[in-house]
Amino acid sequence: MRDQHFQELISRVAMYLDNELNESAEKELLREIKSNPAYIQVLSQEKSFRDFIKSKVHRRKPSPALIQSIKEKIRIAPA
Amino acid sequence: MKNDATYYDRVFEEEFLPHLDSLYTFAFHLTYNEDDANDLVQETYLKAYRFIDKYVEGTNAKAWLFKILKNAFINQYRKQSKQPSRVDYEEIVGYHDEEDSTYSSYMDLREEMFQQMMGDEVTTAINNLPVDFRTVILLCDIEGFTYEEIAKIVDIPIGTVRSRLHRARNMLKEKLSEYAKKFGYQDKRI
Repeated sequence: MRDQHFQELISRVAMYLDNELNESAEKELLREIKSNPAYIQVLSQEKSFRDFIKSKVHRRKPSPALIQSIKEKIRIAPA
Repeated sequence: MKNDATYYDRVFEEEFLPHLDSLYTFAFHLTYNEDDANDLVQETYLKAYRFIDKYVEGTNAKAWLFKILKNAFINQYRKQSKQPSRVDYEEIVGYHDEEDSTYSSYMDLREEMFQQMMGDEVTTAINNLPVDFRTVILLCDIEGFTYEEIAKIVDIPIGTVRSRLHRARNMLKEKLSEYAKKFGYQDKRI
């Protein structure tokens, strides 16, 4: 039961960090998390992981030639 | 007037082109190759312009473009690339929206394990995910799309978006944990 509850909490933490919880569900989750240090750690770790991934993934820069090529092809292509 | 070429050019310039960087990043992580990513992005914009009359000005151009790109990738690159054909993981492992017993555990990746990693390890780990899982991670965690937008882009139910994200993130943590261990990190937790 406890494990099931924990899994359900993980799911709600994920949705919270994805901004997918409505206001009341968010308040309920935060109230529950504040009451348990272990849950605070879960939230903190998940948030750190998300921030880490976002900061480390290489954002590729397209070459100016690509932009130019697209614009040239659009001029030729019919709308 | 919507039939005016100037109008279409303006929409293209103001609403489509600003998303070029994001589209290129996504294309690169799908194809692993700069030339292929270039081709994919070009094809996306050409298709977007061809069907620009279907686009409603001021609505979600980014999601619309990403859907076009995703479909172009499926149509073109999965046919001719050396990558495995599309695997429906849900069918193979009997996976449903609720987590199965293998992946029901919460993957606790300690912060000190991954903070030392460079971007290359993270990019490699993401690129090593199966494409369906890689896609949702890129769309949600990198590009910031909502579950609803991802569901429309990838053409799956919202519940599947949520469960696929959960599995993808756990898989990513496992891969990063392997890299961390390679670098000598030992989990000394009791």
